[in-house]
Amino acid sequence: MNATTSARTYHRLFIFFLIGPAFLILFAVVLYPFLYNIVVSFSNMSLRHIRDWSIVGPLQYVKVFTEESQPDFYVIFFKTIVWTVVNVLFHVVIGVFLALILNQKEIRGRWLFRTLLILPWAVPQYIVALTWRGMFNFEYGSINLLITQYLGLSAVEWLKSPTEAFIACIITNVWLGFPFMMIIALGALQSIPHELYEAAEIDGASWWHKLRHITLPMIRPVMIPAITLGTVWTFNNLNIVWLVSNAGEPSDNTHILVSFVYKAAFNLYRFGYAAALSMVIFVILLVFSLLFMRRTRATEAAA
Amino acid sequence: MRNRTFRQILVLAFFLVPACSRHEDPNRVVIWHQMRVDERVILERQLSEYMSMHPGIRVEQLYKETEELRSGFIIASIAGQGPDLVYGPSDMIGPFKVMEIIRPLDTLFSREYLDLFIPEALTYHEGGLYQIADKLGNHLTLVYNKELVSTPPATDLELLELGEQLTVDINGDGKTDRYALAWNYTEPFFFIPFLTGFGGWVMDEDGAPTLDSGAMVEALRFIQDLRDRYRIVPGEADYNIADILFKDGKSAMIINGDWSWAGYQKAGIDIGVAPLPLMTATGLYCEPMVSPKGFSVNINVPEAKLELVLDVLRFLMEPERQLETARALKTMPTRVEAVSSSFVQNDEILRNSAIQISRGRPMPVVAELRAIWDAMRPGYQAVLGGSLTPQEAADAMQALALTKIREMNE
Amino acid sequence: MKAKTIRLTASYLVLIIFCVIAVYPILQVVTISLRPADRLLSTSLEIIPENASLSAYVQLFTERPFLRWMINSLLVSLVVTVTGVSLASTAGYAFSRFSFAGKKAGLLSLLTTQMFPATMLMLPLYILLIKLGLINTYIGVIIIYSATALPFTIWTMKGYYDTIPYSLEEAARIDGCNQFHAFYRIILPLAAPALVITALFSFMTAWAEYVVAAQILQDSDLWTLPLGLKSFESNMTTEWGLYGAASLMVAVPVIALFLALSRYLVSGLTLGSVKG
Repeated sequence: MNATTSARTYHRLFIFFLIGPAFLILFAVVLYPFLYNIVVSFSNMSLRHIRDWSIVGPLQYVKVFTEESQPDFYVIFFKTIVWTVVNVLFHVVIGVFLALILNQKEIRGRWLFRTLLILPWAVPQYIVALTWRGMFNFEYGSINLLITQYLGLSAVEWLKSPTEAFIACIITNVWLGFPFMMIIALGALQSIPHELYEAAEIDGASWWHKLRHITLPMIRPVMIPAITLGTVWTFNNLNIVWLVSNAGEPSDNTHILVSFVYKAAFNLYRFGYAAALSMVIFVILLVFSLLFMRRTRATEAAA
Repeated sequence: MRNRTFRQILVLAFFLVPACSRHEDPNRVVIWHQMRVDERVILERQLSEYMSMHPGIRVEQLYKETEELRSGFIIASIAGQGPDLVYGPSDMIGPFKVMEIIRPLDTLFSREYLDLFIPEALTYHEGGLYQIADKLGNHLTLVYNKELVSTPPATDLELLELGEQLTVDINGDGKTDRYALAWNYTEPFFFIPFLTGFGGWVMDEDGAPTLDSGAMVEALRFIQDLRDRYRIVPGEADYNIADILFKDGKSAMIINGDWSWAGYQKAGIDIGVAPLPLMTATGLYCEPMVSPKGFSVNINVPEAKLELVLDVLRFLMEPERQLETARALKTMPTRVEAVSSSFVQNDEILRNSAIQISRGRPMPVVAELRAIWDAMRPGYQAVLGGSLTPQEAADAMQALALTKIREMNE
Repeated sequence: MKAKTIRLTASYLVLIIFCVIAVYPILQVVTISLRPADRLLSTSLEIIPENASLSAYVQLFTERPFLRWMINSLLVSLVVTVTGVSLASTAGYAFSRFSFAGKKAGLLSLLTTQMFPATMLMLPLYILLIKLGLINTYIGVIIIYSATALPFTIWTMKGYYDTIPYSLEEAARIDGCNQFHAFYRIILPLAAPALVITALFSFMTAWAEYVVAAQILQDSDLWTLPLGLKSFESNMTTEWGLYGAASLMVAVPVIALFLALSRYLVSGLTLGSVKG
């Protein structure tokens, strides 16, 4: 009896030794701010009540859903979903696609291609985002030049019309984000034993068949967390939209949900409202992750 | 190996802690500011002069970008910390005062001392003095390229006439190669002179927005005409586009602020600075917003340290230090002695700048101004984007401003 | 054979197209760094601008404390990388291999830490760090950066371990290895590609972070690169030449690290040869 107990204690200690430090750091950083925000989200903390704030119940949550805002909360919510889905989709598809190509042993100079392809990830975002904004300029930008002179289409007013401006933000963010997915996919591809492909080739499997039945299932365990977190990050990624659209141009038409948080907190000093909105965003992302994780069974251990 | 790594981290940690944590030091004064680089260099030099005069005292300056200065100062001071002095434009004062994170200065300085300043330098708000400025301005003027423009336009009619001559298609490809005028279309701050030229303003005496005035509609129509009817300004321009058009000689004139002059001179352009024109229809000048830039004192400065902090402040406000900056950067000083100095009175750019300041409106310091900017932006951009008429835009701005101000003051 | 030639040609073509797309905007940054008089944009499309000069680079290293920022950033980023790799590789292993109470909740709670908009965490985080006396210290930022990087890195490590068969450890255990040794000697080396991802991600989290650093490091001697770069910006008069030059210099260590590590990322020698 003692032997099994001590073995079990040892086992538990071992697990604690493995995960303890990581969680200690995480909770130290995250727990207090999170609880603080929950409290603030039920309070009236704002410009006129910055020091003498008090708990007012779910008032701020009611405001989030019912207050008339311009642009409308639900429209922005919808845009945020489009923004997130399109971005993550392109990040993953382009990233995996390039990784597959780069993973072919016959390609020469792979290190060079790899290095050039990660440049968008390596250079600070601020200046490249503004460079992209310049490239979208109607008169002097290189994108319109390409469209008009080489593709023979008419110039696009990228930054002046809401839809085009939103597309411009998405293009920029796709460009910024695909290299990282490519790195992850490259790593994930290394976990596939060659024997699987060799066996499939003997069976005369097509390229598509191998991709569908060997490659994609095998890189899933690594890609799923990257996709989940990529979604969460993209949902809350204010910077690119802010820079490319110059804080919501034209006419506040290019916001995503998290710009509301920023504007409420730092332009109008509505801290209670901003905290409540943050909680709403949190719950949206939590629900998404739970559903996605359940479908992909990512929390379970290896088969 | 793992344990060794941990040990190394631990060693590193101990090495780092004493090196960088500094506790409340009565001999250390910290200033947060949003000065641009050329101003920063002068500040740095003046501070080292102060430190060499007062051994044992350390004065440190830290740059933060304007928005971040505001939010960073709010966060730090609410948490009971932050710099001793905070430097920026006067519109920070409104929210800072409401949040009670800066202290009133009236009782700290004698009347005689305050009388040494021009009145615009002292920002009073809700009965207290909250900021003392060392520079006055931050104002827009008409900047012109002397190679292309010999006499700047004095009225809107002259602007249109000159505009027609200056806007040219040099190579005849149907595209304009040079515009007469450019400015930043995206920020309502750059629109204010047109609004005032038609007799409008952003708020009434009680701080209530007045964005749906007839003047607003006419002003919006005027800039729309400049672009779409007379075609003397570019189709699309934000700050950076307007800036390079002027730098590349593709715009003969630009509406830009006093902060931009030094950069244009550095770019090798022979610039002239002229007051913004008069609107013939109304007989009013286009008046930009003018705001002092200066220092406020953090509420968290302990009494024991206050005298030192004020001493640093007084030192930086000395007329010769203001003049040093004025000579280098053409900024308008605030000490009576400096303003009346022969340099300020005789320098060509400063003279025109002074005229523009006298034809300017002080920027409101109330917190509501933030809400008004936010409310103006979409309507202003929509008019230039063609999705709203001037009248619709004016109504939308007003409605939005009312909502935002209500939300802000809840 | 013919199909292979077509495949390879297509591959090269795709790679070249994507490289052009990836590089072109970066070339614009090169242009900005060479352009005189701080122009962010230009009305011409030349890559080498008129009157190009390298003065921004000279100024960066001689007149601005750029090297100091770089050393500060390297210090912070390397500590975060080491912390990130050691904590994520262990925690990920536990989540992959063992079942224990609260495992699912633990994994999900990792994700939840990433879901809250960061702007709203600044005030309480700042208050917390004041209480702990960590304002103006690297310890403060290092802890926060590690915490920021961990959720992703733990998940990635767990995902990669999941692809490594149990049989390897079992064999090792039979050979007399203890649990830790089986992990450390057998599994960890096989997970090299995931370790590379973890290292790169942790490094980049610290290397590029601005908001937290701005609030915590209030002494310009302690500034990291993003704070230094930000000081070239100011309201409407940014020193674009310096900013462009500095941005490219900032990318150099990242690329160097990537080149150094990518051997392990793509060798294909790890699992393929041992597994099966």
